[in-house]
Amino acid sequence: MTDIIDKAAMALSAGLMLLGIVGMGILEVRRRAPYGPVPLTNEAGDVIATPLFSAQLRTGVVLAGIAVLGLYAAYKIVTPLAEDAQTGHETIAD
Amino acid sequence: MSYQSSNPLVGEVEFALDGPWAAYWIAFPTCRHRMVVLPPGITKIIESGFSYSYGAMYMQGMSDTALGGIPVWMGNNLAWLIEPGVPLFETLIGLALIAGAFTRLAAFGGVIFMTLFWVGNAGFGHGLVNSDFMGLLLFVTMIVLAAGRYYGLDAIIEKLDVVEQHPKLRYLLG
Repeated sequence: MTDIIDKAAMALSAGLMLLGIVGMGILEVRRRAPYGPVPLTNEAGDVIATPLFSAQLRTGVVLAGIAVLGLYAAYKIVTPLAEDAQTGHETIAD
Repeated sequence: MSYQSSNPLVGEVEFALDGPWAAYWIAFPTCRHRMVVLPPGITKIIESGFSYSYGAMYMQGMSDTALGGIPVWMGNNLAWLIEPGVPLFETLIGLALIAGAFTRLAAFGGVIFMTLFWVGNAGFGHGLVNSDFMGLLLFVTMIVLAAGRYYGLDAIIEKLDVVEQHPKLRYLLG
């Protein structure tokens, strides 16, 4: 059960963050100017090209991915520890 | 490090020098990040004491962000907490990260700060990924990897009796 929740949290958070940064970014570039989440203006300050996805939407999707990690952390805090984790210590990678 | 002189692309590469490289590399960039947080906090205390009024003004201006009306509401109603809290918490986060004590808790505070900087600054002229976002990801990395255990005081704190008796404290340490 824990394994499934672990993998679901990883998949959902990574999926949302990649969608907001990479996926929407690629679609934005393919659509040409303004190539980013900020509207393009001319020298007079008039908007001449608007983004396909607003910065609010893209940052919201990325923050949703980070929020999934936060929810997973909260889940780990409220669930009982595994028997071996109570006395053991995570091994330092080398 | 050894390699075949005839073809340097073939052969074994030994990365270990005097210690584990993974521990070293987890500690190194996070150490750099530790030093980023402390100076702004101390500077604010020196210049404005614990009444950093720009903090509430900054949040009141976050009217068109992915966080909706939450920052504006906080700026309007929680100014009493934000004004002393920004310099105080920035300084405490910086000190905790430098010492490597309560690293995950401090990095969680850093995530909150960097989220507000990333979304509020809205400096997306060169794309969504900017230095604020990289800082945010590095704080998350510190939480996931428990960076305080690598050359930090958390490695010692986690061996105390109180932590052994309450192992969930490791979610705040490490």
